[in-house]
Amino acid sequence: MPSRSDASGMLHGTLDALILKTLTWGVRHGYGIARWLEEATEDAVPIEEGSLYPALYRLERRGLIEAEWGVSELGRKAKFYRITPKGRRQLAADTEEWTRFSAAVSKVLIPSGA
Amino acid sequence: MTFGRRLRSRIWRGSVEDEVDAELGFHVEMRARELEARGMSPVDAHDAAVRRFGDIERVNATCRSIGKQRDRGMRRTEYLTELTQDLTFAARQLFHHPGFTIVALLTLALGIGATAAIFSAVQAVVLRPLPVPEPSRILAVYTAFPQGRGNVAAGNYVDGIEPVSSFAATTAIRYSSFNVADTAEAERIIGARVTAGFFDVFGVAPALGRVFTKDEDRPGAPNVVVLSHRLWARRFGGTPAVLGSQVRLGGQPYEVIGVMPQAFDFTAQTEELWVPMAFTAERRAMHDEHQYQVYARLAGGATPERALAEVRRNAEGIRARFPKEAAELDFAVATVMEEMIGEYRRRLFTLLGAVGLVLLIACGNIANLLLARATARSGELAIRAALGAGRWRIIRQLLTESLLLAVLAGAAGIALASWGVKALTAAAPPGVPRLEQASINPLVLTFTALVAVVCAIVFGLAPAVRAARTDVQSVLKEGGRGTSGAAMKDRLRTAVIVGELALALVLLIGAALLIRSGIALERVSPGFDPSHVLAARISLPGTDYQDPERVLQTFEQVVSAAAAVPGVSSASLTSQVPMGPGGNGNGLIPEGKAFDLRNSTQSRLRIVTPGYFETMGIAVVRGRALTAEDRRGSLKVMVVSESLARALFADADPIGRRVACCEPGPDGKTPDFKTVVGVAADTRWRGPAEPPSPEFYLPAAQIPAVAWDWIQRTLYVTVRTTRDPSTVINPLRSAVGPIVPGVPLFDMRTMEQRIGASLQTARFNTLLLTILGGLGVVLAVVGIYGVIAYFVTRRTREIGVRVALGATRRDVIALVVRQALWPVGLGIGAGVLASLVATRLLRNQLFGVGPTDPITFVIVAVAMTLVALLASFIPALRAAGSDPTSALRSQ
Repeated sequence: MPSRSDASGMLHGTLDALILKTLTWGVRHGYGIARWLEEATEDAVPIEEGSLYPALYRLERRGLIEAEWGVSELGRKAKFYRITPKGRRQLAADTEEWTRFSAAVSKVLIPSGA
Repeated sequence: MTFGRRLRSRIWRGSVEDEVDAELGFHVEMRARELEARGMSPVDAHDAAVRRFGDIERVNATCRSIGKQRDRGMRRTEYLTELTQDLTFAARQLFHHPGFTIVALLTLALGIGATAAIFSAVQAVVLRPLPVPEPSRILAVYTAFPQGRGNVAAGNYVDGIEPVSSFAATTAIRYSSFNVADTAEAERIIGARVTAGFFDVFGVAPALGRVFTKDEDRPGAPNVVVLSHRLWARRFGGTPAVLGSQVRLGGQPYEVIGVMPQAFDFTAQTEELWVPMAFTAERRAMHDEHQYQVYARLAGGATPERALAEVRRNAEGIRARFPKEAAELDFAVATVMEEMIGEYRRRLFTLLGAVGLVLLIACGNIANLLLARATARSGELAIRAALGAGRWRIIRQLLTESLLLAVLAGAAGIALASWGVKALTAAAPPGVPRLEQASINPLVLTFTALVAVVCAIVFGLAPAVRAARTDVQSVLKEGGRGTSGAAMKDRLRTAVIVGELALALVLLIGAALLIRSGIALERVSPGFDPSHVLAARISLPGTDYQDPERVLQTFEQVVSAAAAVPGVSSASLTSQVPMGPGGNGNGLIPEGKAFDLRNSTQSRLRIVTPGYFETMGIAVVRGRALTAEDRRGSLKVMVVSESLARALFADADPIGRRVACCEPGPDGKTPDFKTVVGVAADTRWRGPAEPPSPEFYLPAAQIPAVAWDWIQRTLYVTVRTTRDPSTVINPLRSAVGPIVPGVPLFDMRTMEQRIGASLQTARFNTLLLTILGGLGVVLAVVGIYGVIAYFVTRRTREIGVRVALGATRRDVIALVVRQALWPVGLGIGAGVLASLVATRLLRNQLFGVGPTDPITFVIVAVAMTLVALLASFIPALRAAGSDPTSALRSQ
């Protein structure tokens, strides 16, 4: 198992954006989000599983996502999250920010015409 | 906020702790299952899942704390949302029922506005502390006479009060009016002679310059004067250049050394300048001329009780040393606020109580309107309840409506009050201390807001609680028609009516007692004829008029000039007119009794010229009036009033008897004797409400020279006119002016105006209480009408059945009026009982009628009953006139 450093400091904003993005495809519970992140990023983004939850609570408090209790695939009671319109706006802003950032970083790291 | 989020808060009823535990537990369990499916043993899978999760304790704690913040925020948002909803809904309700809204708003705004206006008067006059440091430590010290408190003699002040160790500072004050002459026009100004301690007692430093020192408060010291801010601004242009300049007061130059700050003008009537008292050695030895007002500031740690004990002990010493002059000397103390506000405290609080009762009656009416509306709305409320609104939620919503109503009414009330305060200060009698400073200030605003909220609870709570208690099922089954059966025996609504009637009756009985007092006062014969009499004062300055002969001659010229004015039928002079301020008194001892203070009768001295009895219309009931023959050198005479004659000689004939008074006789030891030549009718010289007290009259031509100093060479010119006395004012001024150049004729008023002024406070109180009583009755009657009309509407069907079964018009009217009998009877009964207690507050303002006068009580109670029944008669007539067929079809 690859060692996972706690990257919450560096990747804080990134994690929020990833969660929001995950929820644009539909309602999911916490474990579902964790699984999707693993698969989508192919474990390239090292996230300690536990740090997902404080991020979820914080997003909920800020009104970017909302939660309701429902029944999971296996018939267990689980807390499902859904993105709010405010969350979608935030995601759009974050994406734009990320694009600008990564473009700038790419320009430096990858010499043009190489 | 979206529906989902609110629903979540409804469904998830558990704590944040449970929520976090369940959620994290679910994650670990799901991970473990997945690992198990890949072939791990259950135990290994679980351990691995936990490991992968990381520091589960820390994550749990972080989530809990964020979750709690989230819930707090959510509750707040939820509360605000609901409040906004309630307010919107309330506003819509008020807007959709304009009739109800306008009636309720008007009633409440009037009540709240009147209450706020009266409260601002109470605050200005009674509640506001004096603008001096620690006003509660300033005491007024009095001489305690058997008849009450009085001023203090100079000798008793110097010996008995000044040296008291409980006092940090003391002062003796004598108010007097000064002829002020400088560059501007000559003016008569109220000022005060004060001892140097005055400024320490009140603890206020001058705004400009300085105040005078102990050394300047001595006979022979240079003349100095301290100006009030008011006088300085008005007469000296408010410039600092006034310091060091000279002002002529009573003909003598005074140097202006200081100006007091604006806040030291406690009221618009207080004195406007201060000069040193400068007691002479002679004055300091006087123990029986009680002329000075005394104030003292308590020393640190001293109490009023200790100070009183000390001054009383000193009084004992003075009594022992001066057994003649100070035979019964004793002192009393009061705080300066008590002294200044006195009776106004009780009067204003009575008024505030009365206006509060009117407001309560108004609240009662609105409560009844709301109760009626709540019944009509029971369908709507039942549906809300059925949809899940809790009882508290419904109460909250209904209270929000009441609150909105009260807040709107409060805002309108403030507008009314700011107008009301102006009207009140303009209409109030002069002399109410500090009333002119009443305004709508932050304290009044806060009070008004509080009153509005209390009103909302008073009239809103009962209807709200009752509406919330309504049984949902029964209302819905009745198809929203309301609980018609229960409404019939509506105890709550009846109780409100009973209360309203009782309160209105208390107000009305109070007003009726005051009105009867007013009538009794108007009927009192004052002992003189005030119609067509004009009086004005002249004060001759001591510097120009030192010679007593010259004073007498000048005054005799004044009176003959006044008599020659066209329209004047009789002119005379007097040292004091009835209702006039101040005045002098003497102890009289009839010939034959020992010269002992205990044998003396205190009596008021009037120094008059012969025509006075004719001018003032005072009857001479025995003997003769004074004549021009009663001059210096002839037999010294006096005229006594009837009550003085009785006090001195009982039933014996007073004519020709001799009385010792006023000046030492020729031998310098025994007093001088005057012979009684006539008996004059008693006058109510202190005002119609005060009983007459002994008076005696001396001819101005015979008084001793020193008497001119007693009265400060000040006399009233009184003239009886054949036409409207106000038309004589200017001719009188131009006739008298040239005789006394530079001396103003002041305090020019007719005797009717003087009596009017003495009755003004009583009339004003009567007027206000009558208005409040009338308002209370109108509101209560409207209330009864409303409730009975409501009963009739509710019983339309039943009445229809009765008529169809053969009930006559009379039967129907009787049925409805009977409905009103109980509450009216109970209300009147309760009102009479409450009045028996409440009217005691008016005791000091009543004249010729007791606070529980049975005639007043019966008349008012009967009138009130009739009016109340009349109010129920109108809906009864309407019920009797209704068509049974349509009545049966209704509902």
